[in-house]
Amino acid sequence: MTVTRVPANLYTAVQRRRNRGLTGLYLVVAAFLVVYAILFPGLFTIGGFSKFTQNWFPLALVTMAQALMMLNGGISLAIGPLVSLGAVIAAVTMGGPLGVLGGLLAVSAAGLFIGAATGGIVAYLRLPAIIVTLAGSFIITGIALLLLPRPGGYIPDWFSDLLAGHTPVAFGLLVLFLIGWKVYLATPLGIGIYAAGNNPVGAYRSGVPVERVKVFAFALSGLLAALAGLFVAAQTGSGDPVIGTPFTLNSIAGAVLGGVAFLGGRGTMRGVICGSLLLSVMINVMFFLGFPPVAQYVAQGLIIVGAVAVPQLTSQWRAKP
Amino acid sequence: MTKTKPLLEARRVFKGFFGNPVLKGVDIALEPGRVHALLGENGAGKSTLINLLSGALQPDKGNVVVDGQPVLRFSPAAAREAGIAVVQQELSLAAELSIAENIGLGALPRRFGLIDYRALSTAVAEVCERVGLTEPLDMPVGDLSLGRRQMVEIAKALFRKPRVLILDEPTSSLSAHEAGILAGLIRKLRDEGIALLYISHRLNEVQALCSHVTVLKDGVVTADQPLAGVNDEGLVRLMVGRDAGDLFPAWQDNPVGNELIGLEGFSAGMARDVNFRACAGEIVGIGGLVGQGQEDFLLGLYGAIPASAETAQIAGRHRPLKNVEAANGAGLAYVPADRKHEGLVLPHSIASNLLLPSLGDLVKHGLRDRAAERKRVADLTRRLTIKGDVGRPVQALSGGNQQKVALAKWLPLDPSVLLLNDPTRGVDIETKREIYLMLQSFAREGKLVILLSSDTPELVHLCDRVAVFREGRLATMLPRSEISEEAIVGAAMGLSAKGAAA
Amino acid sequence: MNAIKAALRNPPLLTLILVVLVWIIAGLTLRGFGAYGHLRYLLELSAVIGIVAAGQTLVILMGGIDLSVGAIITVTAILLPLISPEADPTGLVGIVLTLGIATGIGLLNGAGAAYLKVPPIIMTLAMATFLQGMLVIIAGGSAVSVTNAAVIWLGQARPFEVPAGVLLWVVVSIVMLIIIHRMPVGARFLALGANPLAARLSGVSVGRNTLLVFALSGFFAGLAGILILGMNRQGYVGIGAPYLLTSIAAVVLGGTSILGGRGTYAGTIPGAILLVTTTALITVVNASPGWRSIMFGSLILGLLLISGREARR
Repeated sequence: MTVTRVPANLYTAVQRRRNRGLTGLYLVVAAFLVVYAILFPGLFTIGGFSKFTQNWFPLALVTMAQALMMLNGGISLAIGPLVSLGAVIAAVTMGGPLGVLGGLLAVSAAGLFIGAATGGIVAYLRLPAIIVTLAGSFIITGIALLLLPRPGGYIPDWFSDLLAGHTPVAFGLLVLFLIGWKVYLATPLGIGIYAAGNNPVGAYRSGVPVERVKVFAFALSGLLAALAGLFVAAQTGSGDPVIGTPFTLNSIAGAVLGGVAFLGGRGTMRGVICGSLLLSVMINVMFFLGFPPVAQYVAQGLIIVGAVAVPQLTSQWRAKP
Repeated sequence: MTKTKPLLEARRVFKGFFGNPVLKGVDIALEPGRVHALLGENGAGKSTLINLLSGALQPDKGNVVVDGQPVLRFSPAAAREAGIAVVQQELSLAAELSIAENIGLGALPRRFGLIDYRALSTAVAEVCERVGLTEPLDMPVGDLSLGRRQMVEIAKALFRKPRVLILDEPTSSLSAHEAGILAGLIRKLRDEGIALLYISHRLNEVQALCSHVTVLKDGVVTADQPLAGVNDEGLVRLMVGRDAGDLFPAWQDNPVGNELIGLEGFSAGMARDVNFRACAGEIVGIGGLVGQGQEDFLLGLYGAIPASAETAQIAGRHRPLKNVEAANGAGLAYVPADRKHEGLVLPHSIASNLLLPSLGDLVKHGLRDRAAERKRVADLTRRLTIKGDVGRPVQALSGGNQQKVALAKWLPLDPSVLLLNDPTRGVDIETKREIYLMLQSFAREGKLVILLSSDTPELVHLCDRVAVFREGRLATMLPRSEISEEAIVGAAMGLSAKGAAA
Repeated sequence: MNAIKAALRNPPLLTLILVVLVWIIAGLTLRGFGAYGHLRYLLELSAVIGIVAAGQTLVILMGGIDLSVGAIITVTAILLPLISPEADPTGLVGIVLTLGIATGIGLLNGAGAAYLKVPPIIMTLAMATFLQGMLVIIAGGSAVSVTNAAVIWLGQARPFEVPAGVLLWVVVSIVMLIIIHRMPVGARFLALGANPLAARLSGVSVGRNTLLVFALSGFFAGLAGILILGMNRQGYVGIGAPYLLTSIAAVVLGGTSILGGRGTYAGTIPGAILLVTTTALITVVNASPGWRSIMFGSLILGLLLISGREARR
């Protein structure tokens, strides 16, 4: 006999609770989307939508990658270098004997391996993620420079057209990634990320394989960042060993906008998606309003602070008796 | 009499840390269908013994024995396999995850590699039913009060259908009602043939629930016997090793001085519309069920959370204090209940913890005066009988000594109002008594002591008046003549004082 | 044996021993390494990192991190030539003004962290982004040359054969050690870093100390920026970028916990020297930029494995 207080569908109920508090973010995203659609009505054509989602796609991937790290209670300063490395590996291998498939495998393997290695160091040798990724960023940048000292390499045109052409393939891929992420978070290892990020000692005592959870999460984070690099390479048609640099900052900004907390164990996929979308739209809007690129930096700095400060201040204000 | 075979034993186990022996050849045997009490002062080695029994630590010498078989290389995983579950004092919950996910964590049912939420919800609903958790299963644990979280922790242990259940001070943050449910549950589990180990500092609970007792003192078993026929005094004697005398010192009638606190319509956090007066030389108790706004009341007085009032007079200031510094300046000091997270800077030394609040006044030419600091630390440790090297991190101290440090650090400021939040929680009997005596001497010196306590006998024996909180409001103020356990509990439950006393 | 154990448990000492070992080995095997001029040059470079890392040490001790030091260095290096008044032949006015601005930026960081409750890592990251944009808008993209006499003296002079920058570092080190070990604020920073809640309930003001610590970090970054400008004689956008990560690395190499609450500037000093020395050695090997980057990263990682490990919390 079950009791009435058991929700009919526990999974949905849990998800709904976890995502409460995102309403404000939804509204802001919607408002920005409306502004964007007014400024750029082309959004509603296939081509416009494709271009829009192509700008969003790598940002969404790196935000997911960063969110995985932050849920674990760490932060990665190596996201940008990993994006660069992904782009470089793609540009170097796709001209090789195994072609596009070989390139795809090489990029994925590199991302998974570097992520897992980072995770292994963090989990088993107990070094904080921020300094491991700090040191790692030099190593990864070095590897990228070795593979491709200056921009170049080869990406087949058909592959570029497929991912970054006039069809919304990127959007489709994004949906696939999101489904994958959702499925992963519904596995014991996935839910372990929340537990291990929130209360590592408690999770260990509860029988959560904390170390394995970390290594897996870091590996997936590396995979996502490297694949973002592959996409960027397809967009630009070549590899560039420093093209990923802005993504470190952007990934943090996106995750913060999406409400992923710094101390670990807090944050949801929907938040991450909204955060990266918001960032992407803001960058686009500023571009269309004719802001010089540097003014975008100014605005971005202010927005990041606002995104954290406003909810803090409102909750404080509400707490006043 | 049939001799039942123990499910879990420790045989002559030794364990030391950094050369300090903590357990010196301890035996304990947990038998099915018996509630076994483990008593001992803090620092006697109880936690270490629990960690050995649950595989978190390995003994240096001796064996842990499961079903009569000595196990080599015991680990938490192996302990879980063997059906051993532990409810630790430190909760193992993840605040962001739901009740159901927390209870299932580490043993989640799965289908095709994914968590089977349907199976999880049925299984979890069943254990929640048993422990009386009525909150929706999808609620994040972070939204629950400490007491409810403790119940989730217990449900989590039961979820694994243990054969051996170890409970380490399970009632320390529970309300009387919850503790009652837990007691019923423990009896039911006992009747089902589960072996239980129950650790508590509350002797009345031990008397009510347990049938066998093991007493640890300084890492040695001083008693391993049935509880029948042993009274509280006997237990205390076993733990302390001598006659402890009365736990509570006799109540003292101190002259009452000026009004130090006078509040009308005071609100802070959960505490609403409180009218409260207290004078120098008084010990005023604050009671009630857990989480009725008592803590917020203290924090609001202390300026740690925003507070408002229609009229207020706090140690000469005529509005609620803006922040902790202002409160310290006005002569208020606060000792938090959670000394590990709020009271002390655990990794720092005893000396730096003792000096932290009064750092500013031992300064010569802008620099810290080391000699004066050393003198102050030596003076405080002597007055509070804190032994050993003051350079040790405070986390190396036992709970009782940590609490002494948390209290002692305020003495140099010579506060006129002491706000104490459950100062004897998880503190051994000897230290409890020392703390009680200290509170009385504070009152004698003309300080105001406000004592929030979840231990009702404490309020009864020490306080001049007891304010009972209920649903954020000050429900009843009991004068000395009317203070009794019945009256406090009755007022906390919302009965009128007379009705409860009758 | 016991001495080795004690050294392993004392990260500043460990780092110092490592520096000495590296210097001895490199001095014996590499021609020119042990020359006075070369060692002096290494110390001069270490001084810059050491001064940036001074502020960073305080912030990290208090449980934060300052990701804006690179941007603050750039701001000072570019603004100083622009705002130094012509009428002042000593150049001191320009220096005071610039340090004021750097400290002000630090104060803003502190205000964001303390009153807007933005986590320091985000606040300073956002500040760095913001400054990066502002700089280009204000100063354009071109490099500016410095004519300020005091700044040039600081970067170039060698009283008693010791570079002025190194002397400045000695002064900074003394001040830092006094702040951390001999003043009440130092103990308060450490308490806040180890347990902010307990520190607050013990009457330690979170707001005031956060403001102070970030202002100091801004000040020291500004000081380092002036020194760099003097050594380089030119300021340009991006001049401060390399110093962000190296300042953090120097702090952590010195055994200060990245999580806050434990550590000392006495470790950061050898940490900075070690960092500069390894970079110099990598340069000596004459490898491609890729290899250099890999070696640098691996070395930091290796050194961290020795000195920066966190106990399970």
